[in-house]
Formats: sequence, structure tokens, C-alpha cells
Amino acid sequence: MKTPRRAGLRLGDRRINFRFDGRSYQGFAGDTAASALLAAGTRLFGRSVKYRRRRGLLSAGTEEPNGLLTVDPGPFCISNLPAPCLEIQEDMQLVSQNRWPTLRFDFAALIGLGGSLWTAGFYYKTFMWPSWHFYEGIVRRLAGLGAVASDAKLEPPWVEHIDCDVLVTGAGPAGLAAALAAARSGARVVVCEREPAPGGELDFEDAVIDGHASPAWVRATIDQLKSHSVRILINTAVVGSSGKLVIAHCEPGGLAKDAIVYRIKCGALVIATGSIEQPIAFVDNDLPGVMLLQAAERYLARYGVRVGRDVVVFGCHDRLYVSARRLIRGGINVVAIVDTRPECKTVERTALEVSGVRCLTGHTVVAALGRHSVRCVRIAQLDTPDATQDIVCDSLLVSGGWTSDACAALHLATGPNQGLAVSAAEWSVAVGAANGMLELPAVISDGHQAGVDAAIRVQSSTGHKPLPVNPSSRIDVVGGDPPPRHQPFWRSPASRKEEKRQFVDLQNDVTVADLRQAFEQGFRDIEHVKRFTALGFGTEQGRTSAVVGAAILAELSGNDDKVARTSRRRPPFKPATLGLIAGHRQGLSLRPKRHTALQAWHVENGGEMEDAGLWQRPRYYHGNGADPVAASLVEAARVRESGGILDGSTLGKIEVAGAGAAAFLDRIYLTRASTISPGRSKYMLMLREDGMVLDDGIVMCLGPDHYLATVSTSHADHVLSHFEFHRDLAPVHRNVVIADLTEAWHVIAVAGPRSRDVLSQILGEFWREKLSGLAHMGFVTGRWQDQTLRVLRASFSGELAFELHCRASIAVPLFQALVNEDMLPYGTEALDVLRIEKGYLTSSELNGQTTPEDLGMESMVNLGNPCIGRALLDRPGLHRPQRPRLVGLRANGPGQSFAAGALITTTAEQNLSCGHVTSATFSPALGEWVGLALVARRHCHESTTLLARDPVRGRETTVRTVPPVHFDPSGKRMKS
Amino acid sequence: MKRVPARFQWSIEMQLQCPFCGWRQVAEFRCRGVVAEFDPDTVSGVYLRVNRTDSSIEYWQHLNGCRSWLRIWRNPSSGEVLEIQALDSLVQAVNPE
Repeated sequence: MKTPRRAGLRLGDRRINFRFDGRSYQGFAGDTAASALLAAGTRLFGRSVKYRRRRGLLSAGTEEPNGLLTVDPGPFCISNLPAPCLEIQEDMQLVSQNRWPTLRFDFAALIGLGGSLWTAGFYYKTFMWPSWHFYEGIVRRLAGLGAVASDAKLEPPWVEHIDCDVLVTGAGPAGLAAALAAARSGARVVVCEREPAPGGELDFEDAVIDGHASPAWVRATIDQLKSHSVRILINTAVVGSSGKLVIAHCEPGGLAKDAIVYRIKCGALVIATGSIEQPIAFVDNDLPGVMLLQAAERYLARYGVRVGRDVVVFGCHDRLYVSARRLIRGGINVVAIVDTRPECKTVERTALEVSGVRCLTGHTVVAALGRHSVRCVRIAQLDTPDATQDIVCDSLLVSGGWTSDACAALHLATGPNQGLAVSAAEWSVAVGAANGMLELPAVISDGHQAGVDAAIRVQSSTGHKPLPVNPSSRIDVVGGDPPPRHQPFWRSPASRKEEKRQFVDLQNDVTVADLRQAFEQGFRDIEHVKRFTALGFGTEQGRTSAVVGAAILAELSGNDDKVARTSRRRPPFKPATLGLIAGHRQGLSLRPKRHTALQAWHVENGGEMEDAGLWQRPRYYHGNGADPVAASLVEAARVRESGGILDGSTLGKIEVAGAGAAAFLDRIYLTRASTISPGRSKYMLMLREDGMVLDDGIVMCLGPDHYLATVSTSHADHVLSHFEFHRDLAPVHRNVVIADLTEAWHVIAVAGPRSRDVLSQILGEFWREKLSGLAHMGFVTGRWQDQTLRVLRASFSGELAFELHCRASIAVPLFQALVNEDMLPYGTEALDVLRIEKGYLTSSELNGQTTPEDLGMESMVNLGNPCIGRALLDRPGLHRPQRPRLVGLRANGPGQSFAAGALITTTAEQNLSCGHVTSATFSPALGEWVGLALVARRHCHESTTLLARDPVRGRETTVRTVPPVHFDPSGKRMKS
Repeated sequence: MKRVPARFQWSIEMQLQCPFCGWRQVAEFRCRGVVAEFDPDTVSGVYLRVNRTDSSIEYWQHLNGCRSWLRIWRNPSSGEVLEIQALDSLVQAVNPE
């Protein structure tokens, strides 16, 4: 069944089906859940938090206290979404909150019968015997607004940084005028509008601005702003600030899905967030059918929804009549207008009386009557509140005046210009209704002037000369709503018993009786009253309750002439899901993963990937064993026996070239790079400034003053910065060019006795003769499959081995070709086994606390190259006998083992550690456990017996020191 | 094999003006350290610092940008940046060759 078409500013043509509490409804594109449900005649939207009273919609914006819905089901189950802000989408499932089992019949509404048990601060007084915890479970289950799905995911939002001169929050008349003025003055402007479309109250207020009718002026202004390259962000609300940045959340359609978080740095902030209409407290003012007056106008103008058939308008200012006229024009029958002021003589009032609307002054609405929704209202004269009369209607539209929304937007305690977001910009101002102005000409000129001021101020601080502002560029406004001539009226007179049903804060069920109770119990400060009564909690943050509450408190305490204060609002201005706040700091957004081109191959072929910094490397391959240790031993044994290949592409590679490159590398490395001939490479150590070993690697000489340095995977970024720092520091190196080629070259290590033969076979004839003549530490450059290939004969496993440097495009074919020739891959665990057997060093030994001498490389030091760190290496403390020395370890008893991290002690003094085991593994080549350790020099003689104590893992092993190279000490296999 | 955790420093509000790239978020830079006059060949040049609350000279690198090294003179108490210079041009100015 199709819903009848409606005419509204925000509606499109397409019909959309959705469900609410299990029933199907239909709306149009652009409809919100509120407008679509209201158009279908829905009155009941939820139940209140404490008393579970029936509630309908109060407003048409984020200040909605009652109509909070949950979007269900699935991981995007988000609750507490205000219905007026939620755009309907096809097949959306909406669920009401705070009711069980159904909205119509709620079991817990019976609670309302025990009213006095639940007054403000009840948990300090009631439910005390036998103990609060007896009742706590039930009370907690009843408390709270919506529910969260237990498998809810944090959806990471898109985060965007914006840098602008002027940020305008709000695209109503004041905001558009300010943005236009600032843009014309040459500033870079960004406009944030929390509604899906700009315009604000120009959607229904009649005026002629610069010769256009108001909706046309809005469209024309948007076009002009776009021609000035102004960014207009819709569905984007400024939620607060973080240091010097203003944070805005863009939630298209009101959902946190596909959200964007904007971090905006602005020079000037123009706050044009408008005003919020305030309700009036009377008995049962929370019945469905009681709504704010401007909300009804918004639903009519934007969505074509008539919120009631026969309505009564109630308030205390002149605009009641103008709004009533517009409602009548829109097809709503206004039965009566109840004005609390003693008299009103405006033209609009006379015209309405003539057309048959009952206009009463000096009267107030005492109560709204009805069980499920408003059925009639009871009014009385203010002088004689007991003489009441009833007017039959189905809706009551209330307007107690307006309060500036700048408070809510900026978390201020008192007036504007004093809040947190304000401090984010160097200069800020509130304009228009946010500044307390309600008449359209004043609003627009206020916005215009602020825009000009903001642009001038920003440009003078950045040094630009502002464009001259044309004095006749004022915006001309004719019309707009008349001045309200508001006389404050906050609550109708009522007896003490009736005050229990006069609601001040609808979201938290705070009544006038609660405020009176707080006052009688001695609470005076609004902040105390807020926390005692819960006035201003929740998603609504006091937008429709704080001013009314403060005024009532002032009245109760007899301070009518003192300025009432509202409590401090806190960010976020609009409720934000945790995903918006922290979603981008999880998973891959926080720590991205770096893959080599062989990643997919590894995973497909059983590789167990592990993190190496941000890189993913295969630790072992599942086919070789059940657990890492067994697999690694199988892989290592196979390399020694026949051969294996390893993906070493994560190795850092830095190319250094340019005049003085050789001298530069001489300065960086412990031994001279300038002595390497082209076509050869050398294993070199790099020192830190304090003499400790920073990293080791192979440096290849590609030509005169042209080198390629390889760096450990874990040090790649750090060493690159180290090179760049020392290049920039000394002017003699200024022509040296440093390029990071870590990601440019893939490296495949081919190791084992069969490596040369297999490579010759795969790579072809050209390579066969080159490889057979290639000496250890030499390299050859050539081509394979039409891509550059460089083969370096170097070994980290101690076997005959070659490192293939190739581009990513041939990495997978080359790897696969090798596998096809029965050279199976091994992982990093096996690599560790192999290198420990050979006494090669990794970051376990190069731990930043060892000098070259500690590691047995004093021969390199004695060559006397004045490199970085060389000078501080001579410090006497680095040569004391307590300094560690690298030794190899073997267990004394057969089959005994020890682990890395075990502390080394002498057998004589078993409680004094003189070193630690840095690496240990079972050696398949030798059939026993071998390891490397750093032990104090005086205990490092040949075959000293020491104790490896591992109290944490409960092991103690007697070991003896041996030279660190356990397997093939002469290096025959490697150099064959 | 040792695992090396990646380190991230998020500082969302501060901006530094790189002489080559302009105003950039501070997360693009990495601070090497505070030294008065860095000289890798002497102990005092490597280790000794002048710790003042109102003035500190630091070496930063514009890591996620032009990768140039900068010498930044800052007031560490207020965070105010007093001077930023590219390191290589600074040294050239001092030792023209």
C-alpha cells in the first residue's frame, strides 16, 4: 500500500520501505524516521527512562529527548538515535527503546504506580534493606536508554584534516551570511551544517533577501559559496575540540556507518548554530501529542507532515500567531491559541481572530489530558487558576521562547565566547540566534559583519592583505518573523501533588517536584541539582530542560531577578559512538601490515606468518612439522643437506651515490667502504655515536662512488635516518644522495650444496658461467625474463648461498621456479637455527649494548678508520674485564638444553650473574644444543665450565664455552 | 629472532613549519634528541646537554615528508617554536666551502 505523496523541501520521489517495531511503513527519500512515522499517524515513539511513561516526539532535531530509536540488527546495531535525525533507508529495521515486552504494553510501567519510591536520588534513601545490592540488578536492568549489541564492532571512520581560515558552524541565515562575507573577503572558509541541507529556519520563515524568496536565496548563496571554493560539509556537527583542533563528526543519514571525522584547524570560528525552542512545564506535559511549535513548522515545511489535525498553540510571545498562520496555510486546523501574556494587539492576532481561531491571552494550559495521547487540554486564567475549561484537540504545540544553541555547541558555563571549542580557534564569535538575536534582518547583518571581521582578523595574522569589502555588499532583508516580545513563562501553577507530573527534563524524568525536593534538601548550585536530580543528563544534555530547570529553581529560591545559570555542558555535543572517537586507532588503521610480493605465495603454501616490525614474514611452513620448533629443525637440516630458499625481501637496502659517497660510507662504517672494488661486497659493522654496534650488513660496490648497503629488517628505518642525519650534519657530504630501496628490490636467498647447480639451471646459460666463476662476496648483474637481476654470493646460513635481488614482478615466478626444482622454502625460525650454528649475529647479540670488541671483532677496530663512534670506543670503561664477550656454549651433559635469556653464573658463585645466553637452539647438524652468550671477559677462556640458570623456566644446565662458530669453523662449505 | 614493536607518537594539535614543505602536523616529524652542539667525536658533544626550561635545541626529521633534518629551537615549557632551520643549509652557512 503506497503512502500518499507529500510536498516537502527535503523529500525526493523514491519511496522507501522500512520497519518500526515489526510493522512495515513507507516513506520517501529524504524522510527521517520521525517524519515518516508521524505521517503514518504514529504517536507513540518510546517510553521514559524512569517511570516508563508513554512518550511521543517533542522536537525535530538533535535535542529530541523522547524519540530515541535503535537500528537493528547486526553489527551496526546502534541505539539512542534521535528519530528526527535518522534518515530512513531501504529495509531499515527500527526498534523503540525502554519497553518490555512491547511499546504499547510495557510491564515496567507499573513502576509508575510506586511514584514516590523513585524520586530524585532514590538510591540514597529507598531500596536499602537488606542491602542495595539486592535490588541493584533489577534497577540497573531497568535503567539506561538503549541496548548495545554484544558483538558491536568499532567501525573505523575516515579521518580528514582540514586547514582553513574561517570555520562557520551552521548554515542557517547567519551562517550563510557570514560564510559569504568571509569568502568574498578572500578567506578560505569551511561551513559545517549538522542537518542534511542548509537553510535553518529559512525553510519556513518568509522573507525576501536580496530580491529572492528565502529558499531561493539559500540556493543562490550556496552556489555563490561554491564558486568561491567554500567547502560546505552537511550532516556534519561540530562535537567539540581537542587542543587546537575543532572536531566535527559527519554521519550521513544519522548513522555512524561511513562516517567521517574532521579535524579542523581554523584561524577564526563563527558560531551560527541557532537557537533551541524551550518548552513550558504543566501537568502531563510529556503526553504524546505535545510538541514544540517550531518543530511542527519544520515537519510541515521540510517533510510535508501535519503533526495533528486539530491543534492548540500555547506560548508567551508574538510569534505564536505567525506560526499559527503558517500552520493553517499548511492544512492544520488551529483550534485555539493560548497566550500567557496579559495582552497582545498584533495584526496577525486580529487576522486570526477574524478567521475563527480562538485567541486567549492571560491564560495558561494547566494540564494535557488523555491516556495514550493528547485528547484535550485544560486551560485556566492566570488570575483564577481554579476556574478551568477544556478544549478538545489532538496536539498541543508549545513555545516558551528560545535559548541560544551556542551553549550546547560549545560547552559553556555561562554566556558565549567562553568555552572549550572556542579556545581552539584564535578568535571566535557567536552570531545570529546563537547570539540571542531573533529577527532576520539583525541575524543576517550580524552574520555578515562577523564574516567580514573574521576574514580581516585571520588575514592580518597570516600577513595576507584582505580583499577590499564592498560597502554596498550588505545583504538586504525584507520580511522575516516579527520581534517576539517574549515575556518569560516557565511553568503553570499547580498543587504540590500535581507538581509530580509537571516534567522539566523529559529524557531523565525530572519533574518540578524533584527540583523542589532538591531545593528543600539544601541543594542550591545548579551543578549539584543536576547531579542530584539527573536534570540535563543523557543525549539531550539539557537542551530542552536546563533553562526551564534553572528558571524554576530561581523561582523556588526566590531569586527571580538573579541571572539563572545553566550547568556546564560537556563534549561531545552530539552523541558519538566509540568507533568515531577511537575507531581509527585499531587494527590496520593503527598498525598497517607490510607485505612482500611473496605474501600470497607463503600463505597458500602453508607459511605461518609473524610480525617483524610492520612486516609479515613466514616463521615456518606447516608442511614441515607440527610446531615451530619441529618444522624449523626439518627445514634447517634440509638446507644443510641439499638446499632451501628464503624470502629476505624485508631486508633494508639503502643506495648511496654521488661525489663523496665512498668517503661518507667510510665515516659511517667501522671498516672502509672505499676499499671495496666494484663487483664485490664486504660485511661491515656500523657504530652508534657512543661506540656501540648499531647494525651489521653487507655493502656492495656498484661502481666508483656508488654503493648499495643492506641493513637488518628491524633497523631499516632507523639506519636510513641515521645516514641522512650524518649526511646533513657534515657539509663535506652534501653531494651524497641517499635512496631507500627497501621496497624496490626483492631478495631471495638460495642456500645449500645444490644452490649453484639449481640456479644455473633456472637462470640460463649466461648465468651458468657467471655463477661458476663467482667468488665469495662478489656479485653479478644481468637479466632474467627481461628484468634486471643481481646475484650476490653471500651466506647467512653458512652454506654455499646466493642472494637474488630482483624486482617484484619476477619475485613470484623466480621463487616458484626454484621450488619446482626441489629447493623448498624455509622460514625465519630455521634461519635462526642455521645462523646460531655458525655464530652469526642478530639483534640478540647486537643489542645496542655491545661494542665490536665485545663481539670479537677487534680486528675491524684495529684498522683505525675514524668513523662515527670510533672516538668514544676508546673510553676506558669499554675495555674493563667486566665487559661481556661473545662466546659459544655447549651443554656438558648429553641431551641437555638451555634457552636464550638464561643467566650465566660461575659454578663458584652461583648467585652472581656474569652474563646471559643470547641465542640457543638444537643443532640438527651437530645433534646437540648449541648457543651464543655474552659473558664477562674474565670467564671467557677456552672450555670454562659455567652454569646457565633459568629460574623463571625452572632449568639449570652446566655448559662450557667454545668458539662461537659451532659448525664448519673454517667456512669450507660456504666458500666452495 | 627478536620482535621489534613499531612505535607511534600521536600528537594531533601541534604543527611545525618545515622550511621546504610548509606547515605540517607534528605526527609527520620525529625528534632525534636535544643537544646543544652535536659533535660525534667528543664525549661532551655526544652526551652533555644544557637543560633549560625556556630554551632547547633539538634535531627533528621531517620523516613523512621531505625527510630533511631540521634544527628546531623551542621553548619546551610553552611549546613555542622559536626557529626552524634545515640542518644542511645551517651548516653550510656556518662553514662555507
